[in-house]
Amino acid sequence: MSATALTRQWTAPARTRAFLNAAAIGVPLAIGAGAVAWRLAGIGTAIAAIAIGLTLSLLIALRLAARFDERWLIRTLDARRPDMEDSAALLFADVATLGPLQRLQSARLTARIDAETPDQLAPDWRRRSIALTAIAALSIIAFALLWPRPGEGPPTLAPASEGVAAAPGIPRLVAQNLRILPPAYTGLPVRDSQSLDARVPHGSRLEWTLRFDPQANVPHLLMLGGQPLALRRDGEDWIASRTADAAFLYRVDPAAGRGPTPPLHRIDAIADAVPQVKAISPKASLTLVSPGQRNWSPAFAATDDYGVAASARLRITLAIGEGENVTFTEREIAVRGSGPARDRRFAPRLDFGTLGFGPGSDMVVQLIVRDNRSPTPQEARSPSLILRWPSAQQPEGSGLEGMVNTVLPAYFRSQRQIIIDAEALLKQKSRLSADRYLARSASIGTDQQILRGRYSQFLGGEESAQPQLPTADAETHHNGDGHDHGPPRQPAPGFGVAEDVLADYGHPHDDSASSSLDPETRAILKNAVDEMWQSEVHLRQGHPDLALPFANRALRFIKEVQQATRIFLSRVGPELPPIDPSRRMTGKREGAASRTLAVAPIERGDGPAAAAWRALGDGPGAIRGPIALDALDRWVRSEAARLPDALALSGALDAVRRDPDCAPCRATLRGLLWTAMERPPARPARRVAPDANGTRYLRAIEGAAP
Amino acid sequence: MTIERIVAALLILAVLMASLRLILWQRSSASAPWRLAALLLLQPLCAGLLFLTLYPPPTPTTGDTLRIATAGTPRLAAATPGAPLVILPEAGDISGDESAPDLATALRRHPAVGTITVLGEGLAARDLEAALAVAVRFTPPPSRPGISHIAPPRGIAPGEAFSVGGQLTALPRATIDLLDPAGRVTDSAMPDANGYFTLTGTARAAGTTAFTLRVRDGQRVVEQTAVPLLVTDSASPRLLILAAAPGPEVKYLRRWATDAGFAVTTQMSAGGGIALGDPTIAINGATLRRFDLAIVDDRSWAAQRGALTGAVREGLGLVLRPSGPIDGATRTQWRALGFGIGGGDLAPIALPKVAAPALSGTRLGIGSTDAPVDIATPDDLLPDVSRLPLTPAAQAPTLLQDASDAPLAQWRAIGTGRIALFAGVDSYALTLTGHRALHNDWWNALLRTIIRPASGVQQSGLIGWANERLTLCGLPAPTPVERPDGRRATILPVQGCAAFWPDSAGWHRTGTGQSFYIYPAHALPAMRAARDRAAMLALRPPTATDRAGDSAPGPSWPFALAWLIASALLWLLERARRGRQSAM
Repeated sequence: MSATALTRQWTAPARTRAFLNAAAIGVPLAIGAGAVAWRLAGIGTAIAAIAIGLTLSLLIALRLAARFDERWLIRTLDARRPDMEDSAALLFADVATLGPLQRLQSARLTARIDAETPDQLAPDWRRRSIALTAIAALSIIAFALLWPRPGEGPPTLAPASEGVAAAPGIPRLVAQNLRILPPAYTGLPVRDSQSLDARVPHGSRLEWTLRFDPQANVPHLLMLGGQPLALRRDGEDWIASRTADAAFLYRVDPAAGRGPTPPLHRIDAIADAVPQVKAISPKASLTLVSPGQRNWSPAFAATDDYGVAASARLRITLAIGEGENVTFTEREIAVRGSGPARDRRFAPRLDFGTLGFGPGSDMVVQLIVRDNRSPTPQEARSPSLILRWPSAQQPEGSGLEGMVNTVLPAYFRSQRQIIIDAEALLKQKSRLSADRYLARSASIGTDQQILRGRYSQFLGGEESAQPQLPTADAETHHNGDGHDHGPPRQPAPGFGVAEDVLADYGHPHDDSASSSLDPETRAILKNAVDEMWQSEVHLRQGHPDLALPFANRALRFIKEVQQATRIFLSRVGPELPPIDPSRRMTGKREGAASRTLAVAPIERGDGPAAAAWRALGDGPGAIRGPIALDALDRWVRSEAARLPDALALSGALDAVRRDPDCAPCRATLRGLLWTAMERPPARPARRVAPDANGTRYLRAIEGAAP
Repeated sequence: MTIERIVAALLILAVLMASLRLILWQRSSASAPWRLAALLLLQPLCAGLLFLTLYPPPTPTTGDTLRIATAGTPRLAAATPGAPLVILPEAGDISGDESAPDLATALRRHPAVGTITVLGEGLAARDLEAALAVAVRFTPPPSRPGISHIAPPRGIAPGEAFSVGGQLTALPRATIDLLDPAGRVTDSAMPDANGYFTLTGTARAAGTTAFTLRVRDGQRVVEQTAVPLLVTDSASPRLLILAAAPGPEVKYLRRWATDAGFAVTTQMSAGGGIALGDPTIAINGATLRRFDLAIVDDRSWAAQRGALTGAVREGLGLVLRPSGPIDGATRTQWRALGFGIGGGDLAPIALPKVAAPALSGTRLGIGSTDAPVDIATPDDLLPDVSRLPLTPAAQAPTLLQDASDAPLAQWRAIGTGRIALFAGVDSYALTLTGHRALHNDWWNALLRTIIRPASGVQQSGLIGWANERLTLCGLPAPTPVERPDGRRATILPVQGCAAFWPDSAGWHRTGTGQSFYIYPAHALPAMRAARDRAAMLALRPPTATDRAGDSAPGPSWPFALAWLIASALLWLLERARRGRQSAM
């Protein structure tokens, strides 16, 4: 048997025992820590705490076990076994290095060693420590589980502070507690409020525990403007409960109206907010497909006050096809979100192949999320994101008046832009290499060529350009230019509205661009195209400086065309009204007559508030005695939705009603009424007429006879 | 060291040196002891008389001057020598030569008095009339920090925006807040270099209202005072809107005016004799007399110029507005009216910054179903509203300015009417972008300035304090005054004005329909002090003809004469042979 094997054999029981000892102490402690963590911070933390605790105890146990090594064995054998004769080290020494005597002794020891078993060397069980730790862990766990939670068990009453004078024989509120049990979906803990005023989540259950002295007979909770709530006796205390489905004011009435009136308390119900969704990427509402793109991952973030449902729906609208032949398909797919409940991220991956998305199509996506309100979750929709795959081929005009369907942004550049670019290039000339300079110049030349092509088509030019629209340089089309433009363009319901810029600029009178101009305009336009040609030539040869004068002249000609006449442009949309050709340009005006356009003033209504405002004041119209406030009360109830704080107004109203002579109450009510009044559009008061002298003066400076 | 003391010291030195000389002289040539004694006595006497000649002692000022102790007189005033000190009741518990219930009594007791010296903060209003009879010497105490002047707005219509102006004294770094009746801050400002400030608020329904002006120095509230506001409703003004073409500007003006309760007649020409809007009326002097206001665009103006100008002379209020860039003829005509139309194209209007939502929320009322609350947030895009280039004109004061202080509207009087030019184009865009309140404020400011005058009661800008005499004017006959608590008093006017003694703070109302606000006695102390101080400084100060006051030197000739006699005696004695040693 080799030395190593011998060592392992003799140390193994000791190591195992040491490991088990340490583990038996560490594991209960870890579980205890887990229980405390669960109680304080929830199950996630508890698992983490247990995992950390176990890992730690494992490491410590291993470390302790590792102490039982060869040196320990030699020491222990020498100490415990007299038959080892203090030379146990020889057992583990390399035989080759030993002298003859040592070898003899080693052989003797080897023969003797098995007289006892290795188990006898193992340390004892640490029974006391293990028992103590187990007891400690058990008590920690018991404490953690059994420690009373707030909102459980009988509430502790707080002394009441109603501020009413004690009257002999009349019950009075002396102690109070308001327990608030929020709806389960909010995940909020039950809490005890020592005050009778509280702000609670909408739908919370409220439980009042009240104590009166002397004991009351039939105490009530009087809801302002609602049914009173009877209290139920429970030993010394009185209990009532209701659900906070709206904000309300109430007062504790211990003595059925006898004695002084206690103050009002207010419960505000905080409504669950609608979740908020926003698009994180892409930022812009319209994205174009990049070459080679095979899928799209728009990302949304959804936040809510209590939590967003993990599953949301993604509405995908595909608009496939061009021109009039567009087919829409709409579908919804489920999307799972990631991240914490209050701030979830949704990043669906949309594969073009699966969806059937191809060139010339638009894909519009909208995320619909819900919060976890029960019973009816609230829904929120994200802004729509559009992914556009431009068609490789431009659609052609249909030949129908007003039915041209060219819906493409102007990608070509304007003449002004060409000039700006050329000037910028000239400025950078010194910094650019000759090749680069020439390339940049040629690229501007290409732009110039495209632009020239656009204008050439108005001349019936030979250019092979697609039927396109001119640039911003020529886009003028006024109201009142003598022809009918149809009704104001309605925003098209659908996608691409923001980019549909060309549709803003006009409408076609003729599908042939070249026939839309009169001869003078054509002549000017021809000059412009000629200049563009020259400019293009110089640009392509790398001489932007020479091209600039031509480009500028071209711009001037285009401006002239703009001012000279109108250019009728093709325009998108079939929404033009049918034009009655039989009546056009005939000069007949039957049916066109003066019309009376009725206008009715909007209805305003803060009458009761304004009347009460005057009555409570100290000026003309003030009422110094009790004021009839019923009309105001009814108005406040019916208009509660419009008022900033109808409840406070009701409370102040109640105070004035109960004590009409209370000046601070009247001031409070008046202040609140100010916030509940409309601001009418001003109607100026008349000026004061000048007196006789003033009139004479005014007439005199005017040069008239006095 | 004053010149008096220097002179006195010189004289004493001279006397000492002369005495030394006399003694030395006596030693060298002894003379009779009586002579030496006489010479030694005469020297200081002579010096004393010379000093009194130069600085005669103040004469007893019993006859013609008095010192008057008013509020804030230091307690040690009596200890200072001078004219007799008369204690008025405001001076409080200080001792003096005599007490008088008022200045008139004091002057009656001292009929010879021609000049009074007022100590302390100044005479009360009660004594000012009596003080007119004498010359008053008064050194005003330093100004009290606080609101030294406040101008509450007058004649406010329901819903109107109003401004409160005022001045702060000795508080350069203070902040002034305007609090609405609900206690919310509705405007805040810092005073300018001279302490002036203007704050804006909005009224609601008719009735009395008290806004609050609060002056803060850091977090410390220095002063807080009420801004009384009387909001009165008035009859619907009749408004004519003329436009040469239908357009959004007319549409929204008509909508605004209709909602505001104007009786609106709109005439929009659609060309070819077709008119849209209200039933067509002829535009001539007779029909225009039925309107209080007219809003006319440039093209309608060109068509109806004569009739409109004639009607303005008779009192019509006319607003001219450009419907876009105007042609040369209109430009010339409008310039001829006195408006400062410059050359050039339309320029964009610099809109004022949108206030923080907390502030702007207090300026709007609650919304209704038809008109929900309409707040523009600072993040919103500003609408594209432009204006004609307008420059300040001498004849036409500027009525509205945009945020860059460019004039936006000007007005001038023609006959009894007024004519205004609103340079804005497409102001309707404001109503579509959450600036409805600004649109309302602009047009209201325009129309209220030029509206046809009507005979009525003008609310006075009277500010009074409780327990202080108040003069009410414009009263033709004995009139009752109703106090805030409902008590009535009848006041008897003399030559149209009557005195009234308010004993409580709050709104008072006269039988003629005039309402005025009385501040509590302790309110606005700095303003009261400033008013009294100004009244004191307006009194006649003493002139050269008036006798100088208590420090006036007396006549010096008796001392000069005595000095001459004493000097002559001395000279004689020194020269005389009598008692000289040489005689021996």
